[in-house]
Amino acid sequence: RRRSVRRVLSLRGRRSTPRGLLWRRRGPAFPGADPRGKRPATMEDELYLENIDEFVTDQNRIVTYKWLSFTLGVHVNQAKQMLYDYVERKRKENSGAQLHVTYLVAGNLIQNGHICHKVAVVREDKLEAMKSKLAMIASVHVYSIQKAMLKDSGPLYNTDYDIVKTNLQNCSKFSAIQCAAAVPRTSAEVSQAQTSAQADSQTPNDTHAVNVPTINGHVSSAAKQPSPQPKGIMGMFATKSASKSQDTNKETKPESKEATIATTVSSKAPAKGNAMSNFFGKAAMNKLKVHSECEQPKEEKTVAKPSVSVVEPKSPPSAAVEKPGKKMEPVKIQQKDKRRVKRVDMSDNEKKEDENLKKKRRRIKRPQSDSSEDDDVSVSPTPQEAKPHLPSPEPALKIELEPETTEVSTGGKKRKRKRVLKSKTFVDDEGCMVTEKVYESESCTDSEGEFIKSKLPAAHSQSTAAAKKEPKEDRKGLKKGAATASKANKQVSIMGFFQKK
Amino acid sequence: MFSEQAACTAQSLLAPPSAEASTFARVPVSTYTNCSQHFRLAERSFNRQYAHIYATRLIQMRPLLLERARQKWGSGIAVKKLCELQTAEKCCIVGTLFKSMQLQPSILREISEEHNLLPQPSRTKYIHQLDELILEDELQRIKLEGAVEVQKLVTGTILAVYGSEREGGRFVVEDHCFADLPRQLPRRGSSTDRFVLLVSGLGLGGGSGESFLGMQLLVDVVTGQLGAEGEQSCAAQISRVILAGNLLSQNTQNKDTLNKAKYLTKKTQAASVEAVKMLDEILLQLSASVPVDVMPGEFDPTNYTLPQQPLHHCMFPLAGAYSTLQLVTNPYQADIDGVRFLGTSGQNINDIFKYSSMEDYLEILEWTLRVGHLSPTAPDTLGCYPFYKTDPFIFTDCPHVYFCGNAPRFRSKELKGAEGQQVLLVTIPDFSATQTACLINLRNLTCQPISFSGFSADEDEGEMEISH
Repeated sequence: RRRSVRRVLSLRGRRSTPRGLLWRRRGPAFPGADPRGKRPATMEDELYLENIDEFVTDQNRIVTYKWLSFTLGVHVNQAKQMLYDYVERKRKENSGAQLHVTYLVAGNLIQNGHICHKVAVVREDKLEAMKSKLAMIASVHVYSIQKAMLKDSGPLYNTDYDIVKTNLQNCSKFSAIQCAAAVPRTSAEVSQAQTSAQADSQTPNDTHAVNVPTINGHVSSAAKQPSPQPKGIMGMFATKSASKSQDTNKETKPESKEATIATTVSSKAPAKGNAMSNFFGKAAMNKLKVHSECEQPKEEKTVAKPSVSVVEPKSPPSAAVEKPGKKMEPVKIQQKDKRRVKRVDMSDNEKKEDENLKKKRRRIKRPQSDSSEDDDVSVSPTPQEAKPHLPSPEPALKIELEPETTEVSTGGKKRKRKRVLKSKTFVDDEGCMVTEKVYESESCTDSEGEFIKSKLPAAHSQSTAAAKKEPKEDRKGLKKGAATASKANKQVSIMGFFQKK
Repeated sequence: MFSEQAACTAQSLLAPPSAEASTFARVPVSTYTNCSQHFRLAERSFNRQYAHIYATRLIQMRPLLLERARQKWGSGIAVKKLCELQTAEKCCIVGTLFKSMQLQPSILREISEEHNLLPQPSRTKYIHQLDELILEDELQRIKLEGAVEVQKLVTGTILAVYGSEREGGRFVVEDHCFADLPRQLPRRGSSTDRFVLLVSGLGLGGGSGESFLGMQLLVDVVTGQLGAEGEQSCAAQISRVILAGNLLSQNTQNKDTLNKAKYLTKKTQAASVEAVKMLDEILLQLSASVPVDVMPGEFDPTNYTLPQQPLHHCMFPLAGAYSTLQLVTNPYQADIDGVRFLGTSGQNINDIFKYSSMEDYLEILEWTLRVGHLSPTAPDTLGCYPFYKTDPFIFTDCPHVYFCGNAPRFRSKELKGAEGQQVLLVTIPDFSATQTACLINLRNLTCQPISFSGFSADEDEGEMEISH
């Protein structure tokens, strides 16, 4: 588009000017003087006129104000004025010019006794009629100029549609209204908002859930949505390897997820007799829930930062590192502690294995689920290369978390494990969306275990320390050994996950 | 009124370009709270019977009705359960209404082989002179006669009737009353003009391009591209846009894949895919400039039963990047700048229209408010989720603006309640047919229609007059 402007410039010297001197603003006020005062004649004036002339006459386009605004990069109001100016001059110069104009008229119309605001695009010949119909005219301006008479307004729409389509990302750039709130979010924030919206849909007073333990609001939500939640945990640990873009997404997963995870962690911490356990109590967790739902954006950022610092040091002194990072709210503290807890988890692999075994033993008692579930789930676990929105480690996370449920403290929570057949949808390592019906325990302990475990493999896979991986794999192997347990979908999937590996 | 002060600068753009072009800032959102959490469904289990929702509806509304009954007929009236009724004793009973209608479509009748009936043709109204009203409470039911308008009432309404039982298991009604408007929270409106634009029935994918220009004009007015400076500055005062359902046209509900042979439909795409892409572009243009709330409607890709859950964000990759885009439930309730909005996409009103003699959507809207229930015909003739603990459609407090989308015409009314409640009732017309939207001024709770038109070949002097 700009090229045409330059072309005109270059041709200026060579081309004769059949349009005559009228196009050069040399003299004083011309007819239809600008009420805002005279401006010194500049090259730009002539440029736009020539441009419009070229568009209308040579290219035979329908030049709407919006099209002109985007093409020349000017404010919409200026574009409208430019069109008007062109029409006036052209008509003055050559009254028989083949030029058809459509106008936009807006105003108040009395209809059926009440005032209706009407906005209409009219052809020039109907302009006065429309104006006379309106009781009060709010605006009149040129809508478009074209060479041929338009039968209907369809082409006007098409022109506008095309130009907007090519300028979708900055469609409001030349508009007269700018909205401060309308800021496009980064993809990380988008995914976070999406998952938070999902979480919100899960956490509201669901009085219609049948067997959901009522202990912890988010625990039940965790049970319902294990897949997005592990993502959040994943995100927390995954920041370290910046190579994986999805990690940033994961880490910015909604706090509700993280909060639930935090609560699951926190609930599990006391069971482990961790020093952190003193931190967490019902009250803290309830506060956590409240905070999580209102402070997600903040959460996201703080999560990102500490996770970076957390992931690096492997030893418990990581707590010291994290502490300066987060001071604000218990939620964040809990998340940090959660991570720290996980850190401890990672280092205490033997303990974990014992617990896993314990858990496996317990699980074995439960009814067997379908073997098909095992197989299906085994496909899904993957290294954490997942799409930004649906990282595949979900099943891995789920799997991982399961064994942890045993470690979850009772803390007054019910340990009932009811198996409910649920449909789980997630993206596996090949990026395929997999939906499967799996038996899932509906109990806080289960889901908590899920999350906690899920963080571990995520952290492991992200970290460069091989040593860490080994105990984990040992653990995995152990879990593999107890594959027959089929208490809940999660455990089953863990088994399958590691078998495939 | 919108754009009143724009008159003085109306023709300012009929001039050569000025050096500076003014830009206006959109009014910021002062307060906004989405109060629709009780319409969100978390876990959905369809193992329950629908009887539970009626039971909980009655339990929740009985105290309200008893209070109203005592107010109306004196506190000394005898309130009885149906099982305690004695013949010829004047008393008040509270229960759920059931209207047995001859013409009500019944799946059992349709598939009944012994009757060998053809499926019933669809009608606009299913009422019949021989319809009967039956009042049910927890244990029994009784037929109602007397001073009760059989044609007007619909199944699922909870009401209190005063009268006496006669022989033959009939209850002769002398008077009846409804739950009436609930209490209203005070309105903290704004001191300056602030507008909320309500649109419904965009009808994308409908195949007819006539409404497209109107839609583009609407978007342009709201985003400040159209109009002279005065109008643009007024448009900057539009603080929110609510799209109340039926963003897609009915034509996109193509069920060809079910009926046609597979080889004919193999490579075809559902009509809604293109329509949703178009919708995404429109929403992008809007969200880049103003907060938008998108409610699903009857023909939109979300669940069919009420309450409809928000459209999924994956359908809007472009517009979803803006936090100003909000995907909300149907029905939708929110506090916008201190004014409580409550509204639906029109399915509830439309359903009552089919099964009652009331003709005017505004009248039905007011009636639902007086009855105290958003959608009494659910789940009888309107699909509804089988709630069992609470019925979320019961009005808990009175909104300031109560709207319904996809009405045939624009109508609005200010309703005054007995306890000083003031409600603005608005029926939003179907945009694809009428090219009209509604502007609500939050300062004084008035409503003004705004209509758009292009021009076409077969018009003469009267340039597409927008309906009322």
